[in-house]
Amino acid sequence: MADDLVVRASGLCKYFGDRLVVDGVDLEVPQGRIYGVLGPNGAGKTTTLRMLLGILEPDRGSRTIFGHANPRAVGDRIGYLPEERGLYPAMKCREAIAFMGALRGLDWKEGRARAGDLLEAAGLGHAVDDKIRKLSKGMAQLVQLLGSIVHRPDLIVLDEPFSGLDPVNQERLEALIRAEQERGATIVFSTHVMAHAERLCDRLAIIAGGRRRFEGTVDDARAKLPMHALYTPRVAGNGLAALLPADAVPAGDGFRFLLPADGIEPVLERVMKGGHGIAGLSIERPSLHDAFVRIVGRDNMGDVE
Amino acid sequence: MKRLVRQTLVIARRDFIATVFTPTFLLFLLAPFFMIGFATIGGLGARQMVTSTKGNVSILFIANAADGAKIAAVDGQLRKSFSMAERPADLMIIKPDGRGEAQARALFAQGKHDVYAVAFGPLERLTILRSGGSDRSAAYLAELAEQVLRDGKAGLATGQRLTDSRVIPIERETPTQGGRQGIGFAAVFIIFFLTLLLAGQAVGMLAEEKGNKVIEILAAAVPLESVFLGKLIGMFGVALLFVAFWGLLATQGLNYFPTNGLSLATLQPAIGLPLFFVFGAAYFTMAYLLLGAVFLGVGAQASTVREIQMLSLPITIFQVAMFGLSSSAASQPGTDMALFAEIFPFSSPFSMAARGATDPRIWPHLLALGWQLTWVALTIFVAARMFRRGVLKSGSGGLKRLFGRQKSVPAAGLEPRS
Repeated sequence: MADDLVVRASGLCKYFGDRLVVDGVDLEVPQGRIYGVLGPNGAGKTTTLRMLLGILEPDRGSRTIFGHANPRAVGDRIGYLPEERGLYPAMKCREAIAFMGALRGLDWKEGRARAGDLLEAAGLGHAVDDKIRKLSKGMAQLVQLLGSIVHRPDLIVLDEPFSGLDPVNQERLEALIRAEQERGATIVFSTHVMAHAERLCDRLAIIAGGRRRFEGTVDDARAKLPMHALYTPRVAGNGLAALLPADAVPAGDGFRFLLPADGIEPVLERVMKGGHGIAGLSIERPSLHDAFVRIVGRDNMGDVE
Repeated sequence: MKRLVRQTLVIARRDFIATVFTPTFLLFLLAPFFMIGFATIGGLGARQMVTSTKGNVSILFIANAADGAKIAAVDGQLRKSFSMAERPADLMIIKPDGRGEAQARALFAQGKHDVYAVAFGPLERLTILRSGGSDRSAAYLAELAEQVLRDGKAGLATGQRLTDSRVIPIERETPTQGGRQGIGFAAVFIIFFLTLLLAGQAVGMLAEEKGNKVIEILAAAVPLESVFLGKLIGMFGVALLFVAFWGLLATQGLNYFPTNGLSLATLQPAIGLPLFFVFGAAYFTMAYLLLGAVFLGVGAQASTVREIQMLSLPITIFQVAMFGLSSSAASQPGTDMALFAEIFPFSSPFSMAARGATDPRIWPHLLALGWQLTWVALTIFVAARMFRRGVLKSGSGGLKRLFGRQKSVPAAGLEPRS
């Protein structure tokens, strides 16, 4: 896998004054994957992304993008959507997208042509010649995202891309990210909304307090927590609780307990023999949110959704 | 009503505190001191130029010893009746060499003095050569002759004149020293005026990007130095458009004004008019880029419109300071002060433009342009570095951190964990 790493960061550290905001973060993003950087607000996600892109220089540690230590050397292959959205309000949508493409080396004329196509595909064809100041926040955000991919970058870095978008536009953005992946691009995005990461990410890193707490797939993260079983008896009655694992707690009409290490079968056998029957049984996989809470710790959760 | 007043005062209190408790307010507060200081420097420079120019100007009378003595005596008497400001240029009596007008014309060409007018010939039929704009000098020479003749005769009728003078305006073949200093000063003033008018805009140039957050997109895509230089060049284009528009209007407008006998030859700079314009344009470019880079860098540190407004005054003072220094230098070419102004990067474009008026050598200009260009690059580099550190949070701001090493010791409570 090492050979097809698009991003490789090792021990990134950053101080703001005397405050250590990023503390030895390692990242390895494989080519063609969607990679999530998760963490509560203030975890150091934005600073980490800025260091990856060369906007900030790390105080310690190193990073390479496409094998280059200087990200600017491959700047034309990168698209970036910053957390703080920014467009010139007096620019027209088409011009704004072409301008962002031109900053990344795309011919202005070509950029204008692509901008029209992208806006049309994103359902904003009617706003091609509208000025940015006339757009809603969600539309402007979408325009900016289009501006960050108009030059067809190989690596797209999105900082909190879903922030401030309504559910319809969030869905549209998810589709766009998947389309870019299908095109062959590698996508790195930060978020503190677990649902997006759960749906999109091939791999993810969880950062809290400036440190990386986890790196792996969503399933790897979930595996940090045991699965739960939710059992609903056909006939409830005295003695049922004694047949269930010690950690079983009432949940609705049934009981919820950790999936025992030797499996669910022995438990089912006991309740069947006890005459309680099975009205319902489900095995619950922990959500990414649960895994996140476990990895980060409840005190570090911040405003994670 | 009471509530309204209270709310108004809450806002007033916030604005007052937000304005006063900033370092820029101190600059704003002390600005008049700087202004007075620089105005004094500029005024002294201008006065020095007037004085030095006046001391070099003469009117000449070609006369034999006997007439010369009488003329000098009359000049001594008449001169007292003028105020200092209106007093004629110094009179010099020149011994005739028999060539008449040829001698008079030769005196115009000699470089020791700036000659306004030369009188020669018999006092009764005086001929006066005068340069453009020297009508009063010619009239004074005629009056001297008249008084000498009157002193020698008694019983003259009122209004009867004994001298019949003929005034011949001539085109000056060599430029005057005063004219050269004047054109040097004009160059300083014009470049100063244009940069004052145009480069000051640079202070708020990054405000838009900071306000609408575009700056991070720019910083991610291109080096900050390119962002700064690009913005500077863009604004310089605007400045050129402005200069071209008003330059065209001014040159067309001048056609409708009387020239009052002034000749372009009297304003001829030492390096020649075409080169003077070429270097003038180059120095304007350098002045704009240098001061613009400083203003852009300073303005980029401002985070609010209020801070930008507060910075405008110190910036204007800085420009006036450079003008004061350069105008002083223009009035004293060849002095240590002039050399300092020519070397100091931010006054160099002004002073070197003035130098072109009095010094015919070209190599100092090429050297100066290279020097100034180096400082443009250096200023942009420092401004971008300060911006990256101070605004993009690549470490805390301030000069100490700008030039010092970053701390690598983690703060308490943030030690790396295993």
